Amino acid sequence: MIVGEKISEKWSMDKASDYAIDHVADSKNNIFELESLSNRFTEIFGISVDFGISKHVFLLFFVSLIMVSTIVALVQSYISHKKNIPNKFMSMIEMMVVYLREDVLKNSIGDKEHRDWAPLIYTIFFFVLFSNILGLIPIFDLSGLIGSLGYKFEFFEKYNILYILSKGGNTVTANVNVTFALATISLIAFIGAGIKKYGFIQHWKNLAPSGLPWPLYFVVVPIEFMGLFIRPLALTLRLAGNMMGGHIALVIFITFIFSANAELGAIAGFAMAPFSVALALGLTMLELLVAVIQAYVFALLTAVFIGMAIHVDH
Amino acid sequence: MDLLTPDLGTYIWSLFIFMTVLFVLKRFAWNPLLDFLEEREEDIANSLKMAESAKSDLEQIKDESQKILDQAKKEGKVIVIDSKQKAEDAANNILEKAKVKSDEFIIDAKSKIEIEKQRAIKEIKEEVVDLSIDLASKILQRNVKDDDNEKFIKSSLEAMNVDEAKS
Repeated sequence: MIVGEKISEKWSMDKASDYAIDHVADSKNNIFELESLSNRFTEIFGISVDFGISKHVFLLFFVSLIMVSTIVALVQSYISHKKNIPNKFMSMIEMMVVYLREDVLKNSIGDKEHRDWAPLIYTIFFFVLFSNILGLIPIFDLSGLIGSLGYKFEFFEKYNILYILSKGGNTVTANVNVTFALATISLIAFIGAGIKKYGFIQHWKNLAPSGLPWPLYFVVVPIEFMGLFIRPLALTLRLAGNMMGGHIALVIFITFIFSANAELGAIAGFAMAPFSVALALGLTMLELLVAVIQAYVFALLTAVFIGMAIHVDH
Repeated sequence: MDLLTPDLGTYIWSLFIFMTVLFVLKRFAWNPLLDFLEEREEDIANSLKMAESAKSDLEQIKDESQKILDQAKKEGKVIVIDSKQKAEDAANNILEKAKVKSDEFIIDAKSKIEIEKQRAIKEIKEEVVDLSIDLASKILQRNVKDDDNEKFIKSSLEAMNVDEAKS
């Protein structure tokens, strides 16, 4: 659903939750739905997989493009002029890179091995960070508003590009499928780290600490094995939950205006607006903090898990 | 549309996109940046080390130059004392020599004076003899014979010598 549609439709208070969830949720079959609807399903091992470009997939491409072009451009221009001082953005990136290396990578993974895993941890951190922060900017809601108002005043056709883009518009990291994909990478990384260090068989033996009385292994091994898969699940739900919650609350605060308008009249709607905007502003600030913290936590935990697989003794 | 619906399509897209991003960033951003940072840190560490060694070198050079200065001062003092001594010696030597020479001059001059004196006396004596002869012959109105002259001169000379010795 689109902000523009909300304005034109009859609004009632009980629609607020639907609207908020609709804002955060992924939606299939709308981005580029005009093309290739028929052949986007692919059979993989007998399971029909929908490879349609949903709004989150579209947003993933968008975020990746911005992130890769920004970081590569900054880094390349920085290292090609050795005498030059880094610009503002580059010094921010450098600060984060150095901080992660000193406090996360070296502490968690170790002085020797950290260099092998640094690119993965940095990519996870910046991927989550860019997704979270770009999700806070309502670029596509704005384009949707312009698109639907354009349609309303007969400047555009119904399915103009701005209208279509408005189906994108929130945080990809609020989608459990995306965060689970990141957590899968993390899982593969920390299993891979253990196998790389100790070999395949020894790595799985490391799962349970040695020197326990043998009956205890019947308890410890299943627990450790479950723990192995609970870790990525926790990563998935922590990130998705945090981002989803913040965005739902943000949208609910904004819908106060529509609800007041619908239930109590236009004056109440106007009176509500400053409170709504103030609350939303405050929450956006909080979300900005959460965006950085969650990116950091995801990267930190991945590094810690890799470290645990490498340094079995503790 | 539900929030937590597992969706394999989105999952696989996410994996694919993340792996692509990881590959590109690893290749074009993280590895070059980390290499660059490590290089720079090494540079800084090296220049700190160099500054440290330069500092200690400077300290050493300062010490050495102080030592050299001290020694030079000492040597200078020794040289001054030595040269003073030498100059004094030389001056004494010159004085000594000058004294000896002047003594020699004095002795020489004295002997020369003596000789001149003797000669002058002799000349005066001869003059006196001639004068006396002239005077005597004038008085006697005749020429005194040479023998007589001789005898007379000799006796008068002896008388003069006796007088001289007396005086």
